Amino acid sequence: MREAHKVARLHAILWGIFSLGGMIAAFLLPVMIYLTGIAYPLGLWPFNGSRDPSFLVTGTLLGVLFVFVTVAGSLFHGIFRFQSALTEVGLLRLKRGLEAVGYLIIFVGIVLLAYYLLVLNPSLPAL
Amino acid sequence: MIREWTSLFVALFSLVYIYGLSLWVTGSRSAFLNLLKNPAMIAFSFIALIFTLYHAVTWFYLLGQVVPMKIGKTTSKPWQALAVNLVLLIVVSYLVIWLLVLR
Repeated sequence: MREAHKVARLHAILWGIFSLGGMIAAFLLPVMIYLTGIAYPLGLWPFNGSRDPSFLVTGTLLGVLFVFVTVAGSLFHGIFRFQSALTEVGLLRLKRGLEAVGYLIIFVGIVLLAYYLLVLNPSLPAL
Repeated sequence: MIREWTSLFVALFSLVYIYGLSLWVTGSRSAFLNLLKNPAMIAFSFIALIFTLYHAVTWFYLLGQVVPMKIGKTTSKPWQALAVNLVLLIVVSYLVIWLLVLR
C-alpha cells in the first residue's frame, strides 16, 4: 500500500515535470530552433551576419539559462511523450524497457548539457 | 496521434543541440557553427520548427480543454485558450530575441 503510494507520487511528479517541459517546448523551443537552425545559417533577422548563436551559450548568464531550460525541458517532454506514444501503438509489453531507455536518454542528455555549459562558461558557478 | 509523434522532433532537436555543444567542447566553436550551417541540419531545423509549432498549437488547445478558465459565469473555450497562448507565444519569442540578441 505504502509502495503504491510512493509510485503514485513519483508518477505525479514525473507528469508534473512533463507538463512544465510542455510549456517550455511550446513557448521557448520554436524561437530557439528559428534562431540557431534557420536565422543564423541563412543570415535572416535578427542575425543578419552580425552575431552567431554561440553568443547564446557564452554571452550572458541569461543566455546560458535559456539554453539549459529550453533544451533540458524539451528533451524531457519530447522523450517522455514519445516513449509513452510507443506503448500506445502496440509496444505495451515493452513498457518497462522503453521507460528505462527513455529515462536514461533524458538523464544522460541533461547531465551532458549541464557539463558542456559549465565547461564553456568556467566562471559560471561564481556568478 | 500525430501530436505524439511530433514530440519526437522536440526531443531530436534537443539531442542534436547537445551533440553540437559536444563538438564545441571537444573541438572548436567553428565545429558547432559548421554543424548549424550544414544543409541537412538546416532542412532538419525547418521540419523540426514546423512539427514543434504543431506540437505547441495542439498543446495550447489541449490546455483549454483540460483546464478551462471560469470568468464570471462563462467558461473559456479551447479555441480561446489557443488564441491567447498564440499571442503569448509571439510576445515571448520577441522578448527572447530582444533580450538575448538585439539588446
